[in-house]
Amino acid sequence: MADGIIRNVEIKGIACAVPEKIIRNETYASVFGEDKVKKFINMTGIKTRHVAADEQCTSDLCYVAAKNLMERLGWDPSSIDALILITQTPDYAVPATACVLQYRLGLSEDCIAFDINLGCSAYVYGIWQAATMISTQNINRVLLLVGDTSNYGINPKDSGTAMIFGDGGTATALERSEGKEIKYFLKTKGSGYKCIMVPAGHARSRSKTNMKSSDYELAMNGSDIFNFTITDVQKGLSDFMTQYSIDKNNVDMFVFHQANLFIIKHLSNKLGIPLGKVPISIDRYGNTSGESIPLTLVDALGEDTSEDSIKLVMCGFGVGLSYGGIYLEMKKSICLPMIYTNYYFNGDDEN
Amino acid sequence: MTVKEKINLLEELLLVEKDTLKETTELNSIGEWDSMAVISVIAMFDSVFGKDVKTEEIKKFKTVKDIIDRME
Repeated sequence: MADGIIRNVEIKGIACAVPEKIIRNETYASVFGEDKVKKFINMTGIKTRHVAADEQCTSDLCYVAAKNLMERLGWDPSSIDALILITQTPDYAVPATACVLQYRLGLSEDCIAFDINLGCSAYVYGIWQAATMISTQNINRVLLLVGDTSNYGINPKDSGTAMIFGDGGTATALERSEGKEIKYFLKTKGSGYKCIMVPAGHARSRSKTNMKSSDYELAMNGSDIFNFTITDVQKGLSDFMTQYSIDKNNVDMFVFHQANLFIIKHLSNKLGIPLGKVPISIDRYGNTSGESIPLTLVDALGEDTSEDSIKLVMCGFGVGLSYGGIYLEMKKSICLPMIYTNYYFNGDDEN
Repeated sequence: MTVKEKINLLEELLLVEKDTLKETTELNSIGEWDSMAVISVIAMFDSVFGKDVKTEEIKKFKTVKDIIDRME
């Protein structure tokens, strides 16, 4: 198992920006029928979702989150050594959106900037990547941006995906800090790569002439993902906690990827975790892909100004299939309040 | 667990009226038998019977009997 302890790194702040536009799932009764929509809401827990306007991209939501976070922390743009963006809905096929954001955020040209393509497991992978860079390299400050506008590329008439996703962008500030540590485990089950997939639009389909329009839309096999979560993910997290002597009774909060309420409850029950320790954002924000963990933290702690520290386990799992977990301590007050925005980049110089 | 208890458990899970399902009832004839029902059945096997039943196996089930036989 890929696991370990990354030393001398701390999360200094977390911000999240979501679109102002809210869609209520009950309005889909006219498309899918009242009974089906009710059943869907009961099982997934998703009542409303924040959905990006047509012009609003992942970069715009992450930009707003990052700007607010840098201001709050008093981080000068020139002091940031690396910017990592994890998204599955980049602004362009080419170039990497992280490069555009390095420019838009006014960061130094000495700044490392790159994209990573991951979804539901993005946050734990991102924390690992950013923390490893700080711990092992001459890098002091990293901005980790995780965001998606998952509703782009969804067929509004597909009951399997139309009512699930919410959009959002997050920014997490990591800094060198003597004595602090982050424990992690990361795993991959690529044999399940077809479980969540957009088959067309890239190189694998370039010479095929018989692609259907649905091949360009996200397809999801819900029951296979459920199987994966309650077997592989549950075992991976249990083994991790045992190996690193993480006693669930001493953990204040378990933040799970907000896949759907049924999965979160089942996973929590199986792990013997009381639901009172498991914050939920999916009811109001939907399945927010890679950003669901920081979004849920901001939703739970964003208004909390207490200087108390809490012990956290975070666990992301899904598309890939990719999964992993993190254990760390952080102050409750590091999360900014949720930001609601209609902002989008119109090509003008923002600096 | 008797066959009747198992059928009642399945009825509760699929949100269908009590005592309406029979062992011979074909799953495809049940309006509530959809992708969400498959997930509920996987969860039931896991939490009630401690069994890891995969989607492919459930897709091969034809009747109520196929499900309750697997509950053994």
